[in-house]
Amino acid sequence: MNIIEIKDLSFSYLEDKPVLSNVNLEIKKGEWVSILGHNGSGKSTLSKLIIGLLKADKGEIVVDGLTLDEETVYEVRRKIGIVFQNPDNQFVGVTVEDDIAFGMENLCFEREEMIKRIDEYATKVNMQDYLKKEPHNLSGGQKQRVAIAGILAMNTDIIIFDEATSMLDPKGRDKIMEYIKEINNEGVTVITITHDMKEAVHSDKILILKEGEVLAFGKTNDILNDKDTLNSSNLELLLPLKLLYKIEEANINNQEIKDILWQLSLNE
Amino acid sequence: MKNIIIGQYIPGLSFLYKMDPRSKLIALMLLMVSTFILQNVFHILVMLSLVLIMLKIGGIEIGRIARGLRPIMILLIFTFTFQILFVKTGSLLYELQLDFSVYNILIAVGLFIVFLFTRKFMRFRLLYFLVIAAAIMTLFSLYSPGLYLGTRNIQIHTDGVSGAFFIMIRLIIIVTLSTVLTLTTKPTDLTLGLEQLLKPLSIIRISSEEIALIISISLRYIPTLLDEANKIMLAQASRGVDFNEGKLKDKVMQIISLLVPMFIISFKRSDELANAMEARNFVPGERRTRLHVLLWSRIDTIVIIVSALFVAGSIWVVVVW
Repeated sequence: MNIIEIKDLSFSYLEDKPVLSNVNLEIKKGEWVSILGHNGSGKSTLSKLIIGLLKADKGEIVVDGLTLDEETVYEVRRKIGIVFQNPDNQFVGVTVEDDIAFGMENLCFEREEMIKRIDEYATKVNMQDYLKKEPHNLSGGQKQRVAIAGILAMNTDIIIFDEATSMLDPKGRDKIMEYIKEINNEGVTVITITHDMKEAVHSDKILILKEGEVLAFGKTNDILNDKDTLNSSNLELLLPLKLLYKIEEANINNQEIKDILWQLSLNE
Repeated sequence: MKNIIIGQYIPGLSFLYKMDPRSKLIALMLLMVSTFILQNVFHILVMLSLVLIMLKIGGIEIGRIARGLRPIMILLIFTFTFQILFVKTGSLLYELQLDFSVYNILIAVGLFIVFLFTRKFMRFRLLYFLVIAAAIMTLFSLYSPGLYLGTRNIQIHTDGVSGAFFIMIRLIIIVTLSTVLTLTTKPTDLTLGLEQLLKPLSIIRISSEEIALIISISLRYIPTLLDEANKIMLAQASRGVDFNEGKLKDKVMQIISLLVPMFIISFKRSDELANAMEARNFVPGERRTRLHVLLWSRIDTIVIIVSALFVAGSIWVVVVW
């Protein structure tokens, strides 16, 4: 069953400068889809369109059987949670517990239920000792974990991570990736938006966006083996892939492979 | 920047801390009304001593209150002097004759310049200023050699003295009471209390919930923005802007080099924050449940009744006497 269906979606901020043109996408329930693309490829715009923060010029978005329009937008938002890029700009509450509660307050949860869920999901992202702390006493990674707890507490079917790890240090990034895997394993449909192929490898499917158009969409394995598509995407390739292409290019001896390997890893 | 504390809340255990912010706000308003009903210096002295007893029971140090009074010190002295000098009713208490002459005016100006240059090194500047002012007064009344210019009389009347003390004590009580409120209530609780008390404003289409949300988001973003301002100042300093020195014109340019990026960043921030809030199902004006609830206890009822009785008592005192 498709939980998200996007048909012929087009959007532009300014006339005759399309940000997205004719995007088609189908996401099945429980899948993890990565949307890969450069800055300005329209990937963040796509997430804002799905959650109804922007209005499409053309095309249709269907979330869990509901066609997104002005009347259904609030109902659609109840099904989708989104973790944004900047940890500071999505922290609404004065303390950690206030922030986790914010979404639930909007959904009119009972107070007892909120307290129970705050405890449950703060423990899940390992922030249970920080419930009374203010955001300026937390690191970026901790703030993102609070954001994740706030979304999880709302019990949504779909979670979008819009470059949620791009402002974090490597340690914080790894931790967030672990939580994403865990969330996906529990049956939540996950969409991660990123320009980092390293993050995309973990997902079930990859969608590559280039200048607002879908360049490729398919199983992660298939995409990673599609040399022509990857080359034309201008994305930064993973080290093993780069090496593979270099070796394929010519018959070369072991010493040359070593040299290439060194050069590539120094460039990483 | 990691230890910014917003507001002056200091944790404690006395009854003032156990009270609901709503009852504290109501009691504050009632007691302030009282200070304006009372018209006599003795009555207001009684009130001041009652306030002091409340501080004692509430376990609040006088030193903290004094620190709260410091910003209005100038205002206190100003109103006090004006009352004493310019109220001309009641019986005459004291008269001081000031003779002005060329030499004593010159000496006075000299003393004032000395004051301007030495005040930096004094610990109690205000006290120092008062000493200098008194010295200039004494000078005018006792010593007037050289070309005689004129005479002025300073008359102090009983009503002036009592009025001066009355207004000073009234101001002290008002500031003390509000300091007690901010010392014993967390900003978040205060916001919640305000929200509940302003609910009736919905009749004239003012949403108290939105006001409270605006206040709490502002409180939340003060440390973030301070941090940002600090970063921008460092960034500008590394590009050669000196925030400490320069003429007025340079200062204006320095402030602009700080303000422009601050504004742009803040607008970007608020845009992203609005998106994040909407994405988490926030709809302005819609009903929301709340994580924090206020609990009205017996202490609150008692405090409200006592404050109301106090207002009634002050009306009685004014009408009967």
